[in-house]
Amino acid sequence: MGFVEVTQALLLGLWNTFLIFALTLVLALPLGLVISFGSMSKIKPISYLVKLIVWIVRGVPLMLQVIIIYYVPGMLFGVPMLSRFNAVIVSFVINYACYFSEIYRGGIEGIPAGQYEAGKVLGLSKSEIFFKIVLMQVVKRILAPMGNEVITLVKDTALARVIMVVEIIQAAQNFAAYGLMWPLFYTAVFYLVIVGVLTLLLGFFEKKLSYYKA
Amino acid sequence: MALLEVKNLKKSFGSTQVLKGVSFTLDEGEVLSVIGSSGGGKTTLLRCLNFLEIADEGEISIAGETVFKALGDGNKPYIDPNVQEKMGLVFQQFNLFPQYSVKQNLTLAPMIVEKKKAGKGYKSRKNEIISSIEAKALELLQMVNLTEKADTYPCFLSGGQQQRVSIARALMLEPEVLCFDEPTSSLDPELTGEVLSVIRNLKSPERAMIVVTHELEFARKVADHVIFFADGVIEEQGTPDELFINPKSSKTAAFLGHVGGGLDL
Repeated sequence: MGFVEVTQALLLGLWNTFLIFALTLVLALPLGLVISFGSMSKIKPISYLVKLIVWIVRGVPLMLQVIIIYYVPGMLFGVPMLSRFNAVIVSFVINYACYFSEIYRGGIEGIPAGQYEAGKVLGLSKSEIFFKIVLMQVVKRILAPMGNEVITLVKDTALARVIMVVEIIQAAQNFAAYGLMWPLFYTAVFYLVIVGVLTLLLGFFEKKLSYYKA
Repeated sequence: MALLEVKNLKKSFGSTQVLKGVSFTLDEGEVLSVIGSSGGGKTTLLRCLNFLEIADEGEISIAGETVFKALGDGNKPYIDPNVQEKMGLVFQQFNLFPQYSVKQNLTLAPMIVEKKKAGKGYKSRKNEIISSIEAKALELLQMVNLTEKADTYPCFLSGGQQQRVSIARALMLEPEVLCFDEPTSSLDPELTGEVLSVIRNLKSPERAMIVVTHELEFARKVADHVIFFADGVIEEQGTPDELFINPKSSKTAAFLGHVGGGLDL
């Protein structure tokens, strides 16, 4: 088995890695915002419930959550997960949304009250103030911590193989049965390229938002 | 008839009563200065007039129309849904929107408010509405001498320039009563002059103004009416001459003497 064959196999695995990454990001970013609103809710039962959920999700290893989401619905209610891949996406989205929610919360609570007050005396509603005035300032504030999470997510995709979803690491490990170790080390190159591209992208956004100081 | 009438306004935070029944009237074109030591409730009064705080009790009417009424019985007070447009507020800390240019700071809220007002007719009148708002913004920027800063972002402006932008922004919705909450208190001394002269030039029969300030000289020269506020009540009010030259209350006299704004001015 030569370099080309291994690379082809790894690229197939990389496709799953990419799908897990992209779907998690697209779904968890908005869900995280909703969760952050929940944890900041003035209705106490809601905020306590949301904080409890965030504590559980952040307190349990993601690998264990993947296993729980895949097996527990079938064991308890007789409704097995439709696919291993779906179980990975569901558990990743919930997990990352909870982490994102705390970053959003920090960003939102850091916006000075004067911004809301200025919007209110100009006749704007709460949602108009949030979407037209506050949100963009929040984005600028949270870009760096969000970048950290996004980069962590790239590497967390490797946990999918705990329920036999073949992502790039699993694809490489399959070669171990033939006594080949180097494909596993070779995967590092792919991660580094993805993270490199993301770093450039984050830097670009940061620069884009540096036209003003808060 | 008075333009603004405030009757028996009360506000408490927890067990501390900050406004203990405040009543006054303001005529069209009139400038009212509110002076007094910090912590006396001046800012709370302005915040209640602009509904950033909701008074516990009292009544506010504009041009004879009740816009706020609370009975202090724990029931939800009546608030006119359009009241925010009738009142304007300039903050001590400016509170400009940092991600928007000077011009956008002025046009942002009117664009949203006018779109809501126009409803279904917005699409057909879109260009007309937008150009009239932009024209007005440029006109107001000219009035505060900042035409050349229209496309600059607030972080590149001095404090005095930022405050002038925020004054122009507050004027965009043509409030009937424009309030200033210590508009020069966070400025360097050499920058207060430019802001005060802008405020002075705003004096017009079209609007009434309430200026909470520590600039006694300004209060004396520009205001038609001065209120000395102490411990949540109006301790004394009158024309600047009455209050500054001949204060009746010993508290007023002590305050004026203490800050050096009294008889020797």
